[in-house]
Amino acid sequence: MSDSATHHEDGHKSLIIDNKKLLMWLFLGSDCMFFGTLISTHLIYRKLNPEEFDPTSMFSLELTSFSTFILLMSSFLMALAVSAMHKGQIKSFRRNTVGVIFFGLIFLACQVYEFTEFAHLGLTLESGTFGSTFYLMTGTHGVHVAIGVFWLICMLFYSYTGKMDAHESAVDVEVAGLYWHFVDIVWIIIFTVVYLIEFIGKV
Amino acid sequence: MVFLGGCDLNTKMSTFDTKGPIAETQLDLFMLTVWVTTFIFIVVGGVFVVAIVKFRERPNDDRPMPSQGHGNPLVEIGLIGASVLLLVIIAVPTLQAIWYTHDTPTDEHSKLGNWYPGDDLAEGSEDEVLVIRVIGYQWWWEFEYPQLGISTANEMVIPAGKAVHLELRSVDVIHSFWLPRIAGKVDLIPGRANAMWIQAGDNIEAWTEKNGAKGSELELQAAYNKYLEEEIHDYYYGQCAEYCGDSHARMLFRATVVGDDDFAAWVDSERVGHTAPDGMAWDEWYKIYDSKPESLTGDLNEGAKVFMGRGKCIACHSVEGNPRALGVAGPNLTNVGERLSIAAGWLNHHTEEDVLIEEEQYANFVKWIKETDVVKPGNLMWKANGNGIGELTDPDNPEQLKLLTDEEIHYLARYLQSLK
Amino acid sequence: MSTVTETPAPSTHTEDKHVLKPERSNLGLMRPDHNKSVLIDWLTTVDHKKIGIMYGAIALFFLLVGGVEALIIRTQLAFPENDLISAQRYNQLFTMHGTTMIFLAIMPLNAAFFNFLVPLQIGARDVAFPRINSFSLWAFVAGALVINFGWVLQAVEVMGLFSASGPTAGMNDFVPSMGWFGYAPITGIEFTGAGTDFWIMGLQILGVASLSAAMNFVVTIINMRAPGMKMMRLPVFTWMTLVVSLLIVFAFPAITIALAQLMFDRTFGTSFFVTAGGGQPILWQHLFWIFGHPEVYILVLPAMGIVSEVLPTFSKKPLFGYAIVVFSGAVIGFLGFAVWSHHMFTTGLGKVATAAFSLLTMAIAVPTGVKIFNWVGTLWGGRVRFAPPMIFALGFVWMFMMGGFSGIMHASAPADAQQQDSYFVIAHFHYVAIGGIFLAVVSGIYFWLPKIVGKMWKGKLSIWVAIFSTVGLNITFFPMHFLGLLGMPRRTHTYLEGFGWETYNLVCTIGSYILAFGIFLLVVDIIRCVRSGEPAGNDPWDARTLEWETTSPPQVYNFGRTPVIAARDALWEHKHGPENRRITYEEDDGHGIHMPSQSWMPMIASLGFVPLGLGLSLMQAGIPYMGYVAIFGLFMIALGVALWAIEGPGGYHLHPEEEK
Repeated sequence: MSDSATHHEDGHKSLIIDNKKLLMWLFLGSDCMFFGTLISTHLIYRKLNPEEFDPTSMFSLELTSFSTFILLMSSFLMALAVSAMHKGQIKSFRRNTVGVIFFGLIFLACQVYEFTEFAHLGLTLESGTFGSTFYLMTGTHGVHVAIGVFWLICMLFYSYTGKMDAHESAVDVEVAGLYWHFVDIVWIIIFTVVYLIEFIGKV
Repeated sequence: MVFLGGCDLNTKMSTFDTKGPIAETQLDLFMLTVWVTTFIFIVVGGVFVVAIVKFRERPNDDRPMPSQGHGNPLVEIGLIGASVLLLVIIAVPTLQAIWYTHDTPTDEHSKLGNWYPGDDLAEGSEDEVLVIRVIGYQWWWEFEYPQLGISTANEMVIPAGKAVHLELRSVDVIHSFWLPRIAGKVDLIPGRANAMWIQAGDNIEAWTEKNGAKGSELELQAAYNKYLEEEIHDYYYGQCAEYCGDSHARMLFRATVVGDDDFAAWVDSERVGHTAPDGMAWDEWYKIYDSKPESLTGDLNEGAKVFMGRGKCIACHSVEGNPRALGVAGPNLTNVGERLSIAAGWLNHHTEEDVLIEEEQYANFVKWIKETDVVKPGNLMWKANGNGIGELTDPDNPEQLKLLTDEEIHYLARYLQSLK
Repeated sequence: MSTVTETPAPSTHTEDKHVLKPERSNLGLMRPDHNKSVLIDWLTTVDHKKIGIMYGAIALFFLLVGGVEALIIRTQLAFPENDLISAQRYNQLFTMHGTTMIFLAIMPLNAAFFNFLVPLQIGARDVAFPRINSFSLWAFVAGALVINFGWVLQAVEVMGLFSASGPTAGMNDFVPSMGWFGYAPITGIEFTGAGTDFWIMGLQILGVASLSAAMNFVVTIINMRAPGMKMMRLPVFTWMTLVVSLLIVFAFPAITIALAQLMFDRTFGTSFFVTAGGGQPILWQHLFWIFGHPEVYILVLPAMGIVSEVLPTFSKKPLFGYAIVVFSGAVIGFLGFAVWSHHMFTTGLGKVATAAFSLLTMAIAVPTGVKIFNWVGTLWGGRVRFAPPMIFALGFVWMFMMGGFSGIMHASAPADAQQQDSYFVIAHFHYVAIGGIFLAVVSGIYFWLPKIVGKMWKGKLSIWVAIFSTVGLNITFFPMHFLGLLGMPRRTHTYLEGFGWETYNLVCTIGSYILAFGIFLLVVDIIRCVRSGEPAGNDPWDARTLEWETTSPPQVYNFGRTPVIAARDALWEHKHGPENRRITYEEDDGHGIHMPSQSWMPMIASLGFVPLGLGLSLMQAGIPYMGYVAIFGLFMIALGVALWAIEGPGGYHLHPEEEK
């Protein structure tokens, strides 16, 4: 997973931040714009067509709060995994990564359950702007989580090949960690502006 | 620039030949930007030319190496300041013009109650300016006059010297309403209620002020009327300015600017519509048509029969007065025989002085009915027939697209010509 | 020429083995590093110079394709009511002309310069992520194939070998025909067919290519600079690359999402832009131009960078106000995100929004003007040598000014109401695109081709290229200002007689052939230079920046030893400056130069976009089994990326035995 011309010999380069980390930061900056566009589309249509759909009848705050909490906890474990890798504690890294993967899968399961439930209640892609924006936005986030889970599974397997070294791989894990935290933060924003806001004055 | 200077700038859709306060504001602003940028162009371009001439490398150049200085902050700041100043010169009138062209004025001259001679206005509209709802279709225009209860297509009629409020709507894709000599464009966007206002010619106060005309009220009024008649009453050309599909290039329209009385007369004739051929009442005509149509003879009766029957024209077109012609998918054909063009302004039949030429009109109607897909590729009249209206069974056979015989088309064209 | 020996990467420090030994990757497969086949060498290369050359060659090809499309358009418009081509074909041509020129010609031409020059200008051995660079190139090729695939289908259909079925049956539109900004709802399923799907998928793939390349360049410029190459010592071209890359990173997501929403509308029945479901077509315009206006600067800033290199070189003077030129470039990039609605002045934004965007648009003229002042300032007091690159750079300044002025005219919203969507706008952006970007790119070609191929230009053909292209472009586009002001709307496949447009149109058409002849001469000149130019030497122009320090063409490792920079305009100071501003070189540490290994995986991964894009588009058009093709494409991408990760970066060492 390392693909960099800055190897040992090129240490004289003007390194401020590791190449891979900088690449990930740029990607996350770009990804901010992706989610920014998706979330603003949702909010704009919510404002333009307020009568189209009443999501409070459908949203289950308990379930979504639970899955949000799970994702938060996975972020915590991710931080532990990164720190373990930095210290070269490969076993601790594996333990924590399994935790992250497990929590990520629970989150995805919650989302699948939620989608099927909503579809039964009549919210589909074809049912109007709310369905369109809601599914595209949360779906894109779900795909991000799924990619993250897949990535971490690959890393977990890689850790058994014995090729992980504390220096180079720690950066790789840190980059994956950055991604995971970002996906988590995005979810907290979505949870706030898509779910919680709907309940203002209704609970 | 020189060879172009000789060309005529007063053409049919020229933004230079303005005939109304909006186009005039826009032209003034444009000319201001032209002067400002020309000034910059001469100054910067001049320095540029001097620099490359004066500092060019000469053969056997033994001057010392140019100084390797990295610039001069004072010069930079001065130039930035100068550019900002020049932009302010443009910005201030721009802001004024944005406000002016945006809000429809409600001056006394333009209020319907103060100028419209008829007494048949919709309730409450005396204090409003004339409203026209412009609806864009692929590829023609509908002009509805909700206060007057009429609707026409492709050729709108507006009163001279009065502000007119346009409600811009589209039923399919985006179109753009552009009448260059009277006003710049505003888009017709589906799902969005856009609006603009237009005015052909100044109102009397603006005109008086602009010309410094003096005299009694009556004299002024007479001179003003003369101005309207000589300079403003005309046939204006417009076109769709936003790409809207296959026949975007053939989505033109016209605006006829007339005096108040002519406007009222036109509204009346739109309202009354047409009787059946030979001045027969429609009830009577339909009685015969339903029982023994073969007894209706003559070009116009034959044409009317095709219009109601084999041509299925009434499925999409309406004609005022005719109780069965109520279709709404296509242009309203009331007074279509009076229009100087058909097919959304693409087929024209008039002289340079805007006088109708009957034979060309006939030829155009025949062409349009026969080759509607050639004149306007992809249009609904052709597509609808392709989908099996009429006797079509095999869409791959071009012969079958000819729903009507040449003879029937001849009658139909004659009938359409008679709708005036 | 230096002699080079090499060793496989995991070199033990004990002894350098001067042998060429092919290496196996972690997959157990041979790496293509030392394959003798030229084709495989180019397909698997991770060398930024080869990638740059491929970008350039493909871009020039598409420039000619787009040029031919333009010529057909102009020929059709030469006379009123001409029926050379049908309305539909015309609409396809102008759509593909715009799309091709912007995404398949100018952007990759810029990318070609980025790739070839940036590592050389900053004293690096390659970009930060060589394999991602290769991925970007091939993803660009994949996008170009998908977006142009409609022409293939159209040709096959004309030959009678194939006919459409499904929703597009009878619509006969495999080629996109909705304009390069594809305003909803004409891109909807009711109005256009498979062409729109190819366009959506193609742009989406090109977006992936641009984003990955842009991120790569940001990392390269920030992290890979040679010692002493501080940010404020970077050549201006590199600075503009950095600004453009950041613009891509932050602007492309808007169109990616907009395209995804459009694809969902067409494929899954959502209602993002469908009024019947509560959607607002105007949303597309906002999303598109939030991307689209920065895109304008993505196209033009590299041109400004090129000119900012050429003018000082041939004036023998540093760029006037380096810091301000750099800063104004950044300001243009930043403000570029705040002016998107000036493309929408006629959509009824409301007067406050119109006023705000009008003023912001005028504001963006200031940093642009500053650049022009500084270019003129660079000439002033210099020694102006009219070498071929300089002629085009001077032409650029002149023509770009013209395009800038009509830009100021658009900024005044009420005046723009008459100009919007008329030929005036066509004139404006072609002055910027051809008079500006194209002339700058030609200037760049004349400047750097000797470095790229190591051969010098022959004869004086460049003068004729300059004459025909500038005269041609002025004859083509100057009358278009008048056409627009006389009321001719753009995107009309024909027009009626009697509107005063006939002469202008005929003149424009004649001009376009003159311009085309100029471009033909350019191609001839390039071929002559590449085939039979004299050796150029390292520094044929007495230039100022670091890329001229190394050999022409540069060795695969760029610099034998890492240069240490002591001043801006490093090479100039080295040649003419005081002792303490010379370039020095790092000691050889005996390890040799570390080179990245070549790889098949980026190409496999990115070409997976072809079946993915075509499969999704054709599935939408109702052709059976296409869903499986799309899944195959997705699988190919995933497989490519996975193997890429597993194979490991590899690498080997080179030992140039030479003076430096």
